[in-house]
Amino acid sequence: MNVIQAVKLYITRMTEESGPGMKVILMDKETTSIVSMVFSQSEILQKEVYLFERIDSHSKWDNMKHMKCIVFVRPTSENISLLSRELRYPKYGVYFIYFSNVISKADIKTLAECDEQETVREVQEVFADYLAVDRHLFSFNIVGCLQGRSWNPHHLQRCAQGLLALLLSVKRRAVVRYEAASEPCARLAERVRDLLRREAVLIDNNIPFNGEIPTPQLLIIDRRDDPVTPLLNQWTYQAMVHELLTINNNRVSLAHLPDVHKDFKEVVLSSEQDEFYAKNLYSNFGEIGQTMKSLMDEFQKKAKSHQKVESIADMKNFVETYPLFKKMSGTVTKHVTVVGELSASVTRHNLLEVSELEQEIACQSDHSKHLQRLKNLLSNEAVRHHDAAKLVALYALRYEKHASNALPSLIEALKTRGVPEHLVKAVVNLLEYGGAHARQSDLFGLQDAVKITKRLFKGLSGVENIYTQHTPLLKDTLEDLIKGKLRENLYPTLGGDDGAYGRRPQDIFVFIVGGATYEEAQCVHQINQTYPGVRIVLGGTTIHNSTSFFEEVKAAMQGVHRTHTRHIRNV
Amino acid sequence: MATANDDEILEGFLCPICKADLKSASQLTSHFESLHSEEQDVLRSLKEIFGKAKKIILNNDDSDLKETFDRALKFSYQEHRYLDEEQSIGVSRSSTDYLKGVRSARLERYATETNKLLIRLDKLVCNMPSDPNQRKLHEQEVVPWLDGSSVKLCPNCAKTFNLTRRKHHCRLCGSILCHDCSLFLDINVARAIVDPSVAQTSNPPDHETSEKNGLRLCEHCYNLIELRKQVQESRNAKTVLVTAYEQMRSLMDKARPDVVMYEKMCQSLFDGETTYNLTDVNKMRGRIGKLAEGIDLLSKQIIAFPAEPGTRQARLQTAIRQAAAHYIKEDLLSLRKLPTEAQIEEVRRQRYERAEKQIQMERERMERQRDRMEEMAGPSVSRVESNQDDDDNPLLEQMNIIREYIKEARKEMKFEEVAILETNLKELKKEYQLQKLCNKS
Ligand SMILES: [Zn+2]
Ligand SMILES: [Zn+2]
Ligand SMILES: [Zn+2]
Repeated sequence: MNVIQAVKLYITRMTEESGPGMKVILMDKETTSIVSMVFSQSEILQKEVYLFERIDSHSKWDNMKHMKCIVFVRPTSENISLLSRELRYPKYGVYFIYFSNVISKADIKTLAECDEQETVREVQEVFADYLAVDRHLFSFNIVGCLQGRSWNPHHLQRCAQGLLALLLSVKRRAVVRYEAASEPCARLAERVRDLLRREAVLIDNNIPFNGEIPTPQLLIIDRRDDPVTPLLNQWTYQAMVHELLTINNNRVSLAHLPDVHKDFKEVVLSSEQDEFYAKNLYSNFGEIGQTMKSLMDEFQKKAKSHQKVESIADMKNFVETYPLFKKMSGTVTKHVTVVGELSASVTRHNLLEVSELEQEIACQSDHSKHLQRLKNLLSNEAVRHHDAAKLVALYALRYEKHASNALPSLIEALKTRGVPEHLVKAVVNLLEYGGAHARQSDLFGLQDAVKITKRLFKGLSGVENIYTQHTPLLKDTLEDLIKGKLRENLYPTLGGDDGAYGRRPQDIFVFIVGGATYEEAQCVHQINQTYPGVRIVLGGTTIHNSTSFFEEVKAAMQGVHRTHTRHIRNV
Repeated sequence: MATANDDEILEGFLCPICKADLKSASQLTSHFESLHSEEQDVLRSLKEIFGKAKKIILNNDDSDLKETFDRALKFSYQEHRYLDEEQSIGVSRSSTDYLKGVRSARLERYATETNKLLIRLDKLVCNMPSDPNQRKLHEQEVVPWLDGSSVKLCPNCAKTFNLTRRKHHCRLCGSILCHDCSLFLDINVARAIVDPSVAQTSNPPDHETSEKNGLRLCEHCYNLIELRKQVQESRNAKTVLVTAYEQMRSLMDKARPDVVMYEKMCQSLFDGETTYNLTDVNKMRGRIGKLAEGIDLLSKQIIAFPAEPGTRQARLQTAIRQAAAHYIKEDLLSLRKLPTEAQIEEVRRQRYERAEKQIQMERERMERQRDRMEEMAGPSVSRVESNQDDDDNPLLEQMNIIREYIKEARKEMKFEEVAILETNLKELKKEYQLQKLCNKS
């Protein structure tokens, strides 16, 4: 159940099936991303694929009959008509066509009718129809999947097809469960079930029924049940990079930094191609600094330089003045650049203080203290408007029902501070999106006696690391599922409970409508480590940081009447 | 023979492109910069190699630095054990047969018609008279023209025929059309279509095709013939580029097993085995170098083929060159450094000592055992040292034959064979020693 491997296997076979010879790969926007997530350009070049073309590009016709063309596109009607045109006036000698999902007979007929020069050698459906972000993490890159609280029909279809492809690509049958309180989850679950039924023959022929292990489960849950996790500042490497610099298809743009080296205007962070990253993506920020420092110390010994490497700024300096280092490893240089920027942001924006309060609001209970500290931070000019709004949003969610809730005055404070309008609105939107009325779980552990005492203890004894107190709700949900304790009335199985409930599933696919986060990806990684035999793959409509999450919420609340925040009159 | 160290340096200063011996790193670098300047990738990696080579010579090794890096970057696979299951490729479904079914049903109709037209075309261009009137007769003989007396409008564009818009005939189907609706097929192109052995004029003729040098056709016939021409062209798309490319790939296919073999031989040397010697491995390295040179040359030829900048063709050629340079750099130039003669001696000596010790221990053990047995059995016949002549031992003979074979195989650089034969030889040696030991006791 390694999704990166699954996509790689498909693409490798595409390049092999066409035999030796010069090849071009013709893709659409989405499949281009799908491929670029798992292979670097030089890897593809070694597979004799020399040209990358977009099917929707309008470049001029060329006679390239000496090349073989691998077509890898999503089965959209737009692509079918573009491909028809291509086949009518073929540029390349032969065509090997792969659709990333189910294609209709009618569409194949259309293509056959255009293929008057008999250039098509293969037409296949392969199910590499998702972005494999990490071995256990996938996404569809959709921000704003809900519009006005219900599915955008295109996105619903895309997600359903993608989940079908996911199961086929790793050869798993699965029962579908979903969050009962969420209408979008129910809709998606049904759609997936329909697609699975339609492909029953394909599944029966290719995926043998395995009675040895409990039936794998596909669990569809709603971001609205946990709106807190995407709001928090992160301190593990990958999550932190995404929060502060934004990872887009494994790529991070550093172009906005002053005097960044030209090789690092855009850096690729891929655990498949970068060992340092693979080893450290879940490391704490502090640990990474330590690792780099020890590397640097080693060099320093060699250089017998008297320069002292103490801070990350020193490290950067050191790297720049030590060319051998550069030569030896572009990788480490890249990470020093990235870590350097993270470190600068932390200082610049007072993120330690911000994060500490975020964690305490999310995990502890002390209204008056939290309110006081929040007010203090709002008056601190170093704190970004974005973080200020996030803090108020957290407060709004956490103390929504508190007797002395002071949200209106906090919103007033935001305004006085000069926080832009859209961020102030975001606070209220978020409360509509994921307030108590929208959640079926006990997000803050207000009802569960065990959690209340646990929290009390935390408060009394102090915590190991004040910046990493929070664990996402997903952890509890998954642990319940693994132990066979996830309640059927809250997470019903489509088509009824056929005995799967109570059995402890080993292979689990969990999909978050509204987007997952890297913090949750790390949590899934840890569960996979902790529970032998359990394999969980996490997916989301997208992978959020707090900025994209605000966009998600905005889209979901577009045109929705405020029903739970009407008392807040100053927005 | 030069010392092992000299050997190293010499090898380092051969130009990998033209194999000239430049004696020093700086001379080679400048030679490279002036004569092979387009080789920026290779050049850069060369400089790196020399940077390291120099340090080795100056006994200023940075290898522990490298180790620190490797340690820091080392990926702990254990962390991902849960995903380490053997994963097979996911489900897929082919619709190729369905597509081909639909396609052939459709194309069959065309095919019969196209064939009919091709036969006519063949008759038309074969023995075509040059005199216009004669030619007209010839054409009508092959394809009778439709009687146009009752036709008032062009069937294609529906315009009235008159003095300025005269009636014409398609030379392949005989139908009537006006001049504006006519298309012309160059007669030379037509000849190439009916007889593919005629030199392909894949470029369209540079002159305008007209009544004089072309055949007047209706749109329908023209399209069918054009389609046929394109299918034919795509089947004969073997250009100079393709030839050069295929040669380059075949060199790569040769290099791949060689690199594997080299790594194996190198490891064997480091392990102190005697299967291969340093000369063998050096020869192998030389052979890989030759292949690298060939690949490099061909890929440079490819990038030099004329192509308009920015076109697909130009991008293709650049990409092929880029891939080849990457391959040479990553797979062929980054071969593991060979151990020196002295290093090999040292490893072999250690290995030999270990083996000796083991044999010694074994012997002592056996002796003790025998002593014990003798004690139990009481005094017995004294041992006779059997030192019979060994020369006609069949095992020895066998061993000599194999030694000859090894020499042969080595000369032909069949190192797989060398390895197998060496194993055989070793086994025979063991057998022989066992025999001697048995004879003794
Ligand atoms: Zn040279
Ligand atoms: Zn006409
Ligand atoms: Zn005609």
